[in-house]
Amino acid sequence: MRTFRTCSALALFTTLAACATTSAPSELVSARSAYDRAQNGATARLDPADLLTAKETLDRAEKSLTDNGDAQETKDIAYTAERRVEIAESRARTLVETQQKDTVTAQMNASQTATVRSTSAALGRANQQLAAQGQELQNAEQRRADAEKRAAQATADLERIGSVKQEARGMVITLSGSVLFASAQWELLPEAQVKLGDVAKALTERDPDSKMVVEGHTDSQGTPSFNLDLSQKRADAVRTYLVSRGIAGDRITAQGFGLARPIADNGSAEGRANNRRVEIVVQPSATAK
Amino acid sequence: MNTQSISVLPALLLVGCAATFPPPTQHLADAESAQRSARELGAANQPTAQLHLKLADEQMVLARKEMANGDNRSADFVLGRAKADSELALALARELNASVDVTRAVDTSNATATTNAAQGAVK
Repeated sequence: MRTFRTCSALALFTTLAACATTSAPSELVSARSAYDRAQNGATARLDPADLLTAKETLDRAEKSLTDNGDAQETKDIAYTAERRVEIAESRARTLVETQQKDTVTAQMNASQTATVRSTSAALGRANQQLAAQGQELQNAEQRRADAEKRAAQATADLERIGSVKQEARGMVITLSGSVLFASAQWELLPEAQVKLGDVAKALTERDPDSKMVVEGHTDSQGTPSFNLDLSQKRADAVRTYLVSRGIAGDRITAQGFGLARPIADNGSAEGRANNRRVEIVVQPSATAK
Repeated sequence: MNTQSISVLPALLLVGCAATFPPPTQHLADAESAQRSARELGAANQPTAQLHLKLADEQMVLARKEMANGDNRSADFVLGRAKADSELALALARELNASVDVTRAVDTSNATATTNAAQGAVK
């Protein structure tokens, strides 16, 4: 019995020694290598849970090698361990891809939000500008309509005072000399002052920047020099009065023409009456043209 | 207890264990399920994943054969390999899909930027 026990112990020891020195099957070598690769790579950080499962499977394979040598069981477990490592690596790469996609999507959304916000703001500004321009246009239209209305009213007023004609040199307002002055005089009659006040008002409203020439004209009775002097004095009198009623002095000049520019026959009383006149020639300003 | 009975006992125990190892039907179902999922996610379109699906197929055929022969323990180990291969195929299919998603997101982002620029959006 003693001999049997000794032999058995020896046999067991020999078997264990043989197992300990059994070389690992290729599946286990490959699994160890795969695990080392993953452990030293990004997988350890990105998917530690799956890598732990792989490690546990690898440990089972190592134990099986110790217990069973390079039996099929050891090879099967080692094969499974290597696959577990590869699964962990694949999941780690998937995680990186997913994070990358999330980053791209987040950046796109942020950019889109910013673009929508700035475009909306720009659109708001454009709308405000458009509304302001519309209002300005409406105001300009209103001003133009008002100006036209004033001009029409002023022309109507002038037509009540004297004759109004449009000529190449401008609008010509003709006032009868007998209405403005006594015979051979150059002082304005009181009634004439009222009429000229209306003229000044109408001219100011019609075109405040227009230039004016007051022209004095006489009939042919009397000497030319007397008539020239008289016409100049009458033109000056009208200019002075218009300036006194608010028309700027630099807008208006006066010139006497005497009997030089008749508009009717001096042979008749009616013709001479028409020739005794004062003409106000209004040259419209550039903005009123 | 004599010498003979001592030497026969381990053999009897081993036979008993082999006889009582249950058929690994659950592990077979797990491997099949993982394989189905991998196929549904398009593993057949990725060469490496396709290879692992094929390996899993072969291992499941072998496992069924071993189960039919009553070698349930060996079949269980083979099914472990099949399940691992199927799950790897599944992981690879998901990885491929994630990669496609990244490409698509980048394309969408670029297209959006181009459209915004074309439509006069303000940056």
